[in-house]
Formats: sequence, structure tokens, C-alpha cells
Amino acid sequence: MSVIQAEQLTKTYRRKTALDDVSFSIPEHTITGLIGRNGAGKTTLLKTAAGFIRPSAGSLHVDGEPSFDNLQVSANSIFIDESMNWPAALSLGELLQEGKRFYENWDETLPETLFDYFGLNKKDIHKKLSKGKKSTFNMIFGLAARCPVTLLDEPMTGMDAAVRSDMFRVMLKEYIAHPRTIILSSHHVEEVEELLEDVILIDEGRIQLHVSMDDMREKLIGLTGEQTLLTQWTKRHQVLHSASAAAGEEYVIVENDFSEAERREMSQNGITLSTVPPVQAAVYLTAKKERSIDDVLERR
Amino acid sequence: MIFSSDDSRPIYLQIAQWIEAEILKEQLRPHDHVYSQYKLAERFTINPATAAKGLTKLAEDGILYDRRGMGKFVAEEAREKVIEKRRSHTLKKMISDLVQEADRLDVPEEEMMQMVREERKKQ
Repeated sequence: MSVIQAEQLTKTYRRKTALDDVSFSIPEHTITGLIGRNGAGKTTLLKTAAGFIRPSAGSLHVDGEPSFDNLQVSANSIFIDESMNWPAALSLGELLQEGKRFYENWDETLPETLFDYFGLNKKDIHKKLSKGKKSTFNMIFGLAARCPVTLLDEPMTGMDAAVRSDMFRVMLKEYIAHPRTIILSSHHVEEVEELLEDVILIDEGRIQLHVSMDDMREKLIGLTGEQTLLTQWTKRHQVLHSASAAAGEEYVIVENDFSEAERREMSQNGITLSTVPPVQAAVYLTAKKERSIDDVLERR
Repeated sequence: MIFSSDDSRPIYLQIAQWIEAEILKEQLRPHDHVYSQYKLAERFTINPATAAKGLTKLAEDGILYDRRGMGKFVAEEAREKVIEKRRSHTLKKMISDLVQEADRLDVPEEEMMQMVREERKKQ
């Protein structure tokens, strides 16, 4: 069953198109990673799903309801980002009380259990926390809400690596104990990729790819070998990236559409095949052909 | 996490192979209840759907069997099947890699065999 459904969704701001005719559907009880460069449209997509943004055209439905300005959707979803504005007059403990009042499935025990461990105090004021602690509180709040739809936009900003890894584990355990539909955008995809079931790659307001994480891992392939040999094998391909490798060999990345037999033959020819990690694959798939960093530097 | 991040195999296959290794070591015996997708997900910090895919793969290979509503169990002939599978796939592949590398380095056959024998003695 799909929980979030977007159809030809477009959002334009005055001069910029943030989402450009986007259609997708997110199945219930999945964790989907949202990856893309800064400004690709990740936040707009999440905020539209949360009902904060009115689509310029097309639609986005959550549980069959149009999401914008919809109380039903608000009560069943939560949006967490790095710049959450909490009422300055309330302490963390009081914010949790408000969460409990608003969210039907609110879990009081989770903050109780985690506050101490992550060095938070109920008397703290959110504004006065460090960046990492702010994010930690936001994340705890987001998970305690146990919303059927949980939208997390760069929720780990400012946390150090150890806290991030703890927090990802908290998220996984909470998800297993109380399944919900989670969409997560993160600059630390390599740290979460194993938690993700699906991934959406967004570029310049368009969805480039919406696949399972396993397919994403096999989407591209790295080939290392003698240049003439590589050229032969990649005639039909667009080379997404190339670099010189050791011993005068070349390394290229292309789409992995080789058959099992072809791969065997390549490796018998002395070409080394390697996987391209999803994070890197995302970079190459959204790279702007006409303006790689090397081109820019060469033009000086 | 027991998996190395430079392991290029899909995670679900790594999960399947981990369970196979447990069967080879006889940590899991015929008709033992296998860890659920959720247990595996927690243990290895991976998505439960990925873990489920690994279990399904083993069921398809006849190494595990399903008991409705109760999860997956180790098949009677599981260990033999794992051994057979590894011999005919994994070991063959490794030998093919070995022969290729030896060719590239101009190692004569007898020297390569000698190296294999020495390694065996060491272990």
C-alpha cells in the first residue's frame, strides 16, 4: 500500500523551479533515503509531504488526503529538520509535554530513556543547546511522536560520528518495534545506506532514480584496465567518470548493463570490475557534464 | 557490524552467506529456528527488508524452509547443500581467479600447485 503519492507535482518559487513535474509513490513501512545535491529539491519535497507547502501544480497525497494545510495529515506526520523553531519560552521537558498532547501515539518512555544517555536535561532550553544537541533532541522528539509518516531532513546535523551512529541505531530499533514510513535525507548517506530499503535520487527538481538500495548499489560499475580495452568494452556507454589508475591503466565508471557472461569475459581480459558505492553513484549520476571541476580549473 | 564496507556483494547476499557459515560451523543444525528478519536487522544494523531478502534467497536454494507463521527453519540437508553450492560456485570462482593471477604473473603451473600445497600445510 502506498502512503505518500505524488502526481506531476511541481513547485515553483518566484524564479526557481524547486520540483519539476515529479511523480512517485512511497510504500507503507519503508525507510526511503532522499539523496541529491544542495538545492536539488529535497527539502521542498519533504515539506510538501508534511503539508507545509502548497503545490504549484499537481498533487501530493498522504494516506489519500491532499497534504497541504490538512489537520489529518499534520496529526499523522512529523517533519524534523536542522532549523526547527521551538517556542523559546518552553523547556525541553515542556516541549515533550506538548508533543504528548498533540501526537496520539506519543511514546513518553523513549525520551525518558534517552535524555540521560545523550546528555540532555529536561530543564534545558532548546535555543541554548549546541548544534549537535539540538539535532539530538529533534530526532528524539521525531521518533517519540511515532507518527505513521516520519520525515527527517538532515536530522543529524552537528552530531558527532558516534552520536550519529547511536541515533541511527535508535531509529532502526524504533522502526522495527513500531513500523512507520520514514523518508530521510542525509549528507551522511554512506552511514545510513544499510538502513535504507529504497532510495530516491533527486536532481534539479526531478527524480532521477527511485530504486531499491540493492539496485542502487548495482546501478553503476567501475572498470579498471588498459585504456584501449576499456574503450572497446564501453563503446555503447556514456562514461560517467574516468581517471588514471596505477600502472598506466584507466579507471572508468559506466552504467552496469553488462550480462553475467560479459562480466566474466571482461575479467578474463584482465579488466578489474568494482562496485560503485551508492553515494558516489549519486554524485556521478547527477554530475553536470558540461562543467566538471576539472573543466572549470582548466579554463583559468 | 561484521561486514566490511569494501565487500562489494549486496548486503542480502552477505546475510545469506553469514547464515550459511553458521550452518557450516554447525551453529545452526537441521530444523533449528533461524533468526527472524528483525533479529538479523538489529544484529547487523540493516534494514529488515534486506534481511528478509537474504532469508528468502536461502529458502529458494532449499537451505531453509518455511513454517507458516513461525518463520524459517534449517532444512534437513542444509549443510550438504551449502557445501555443494560453495564447491561448485565459490571455490570454482576462486580457483579461476587464482589461475588468472598466476598467468598474469607468469607463475608456472607446478610452482602454483606448490604454493597451494604449502598454504594447505600451514593451515
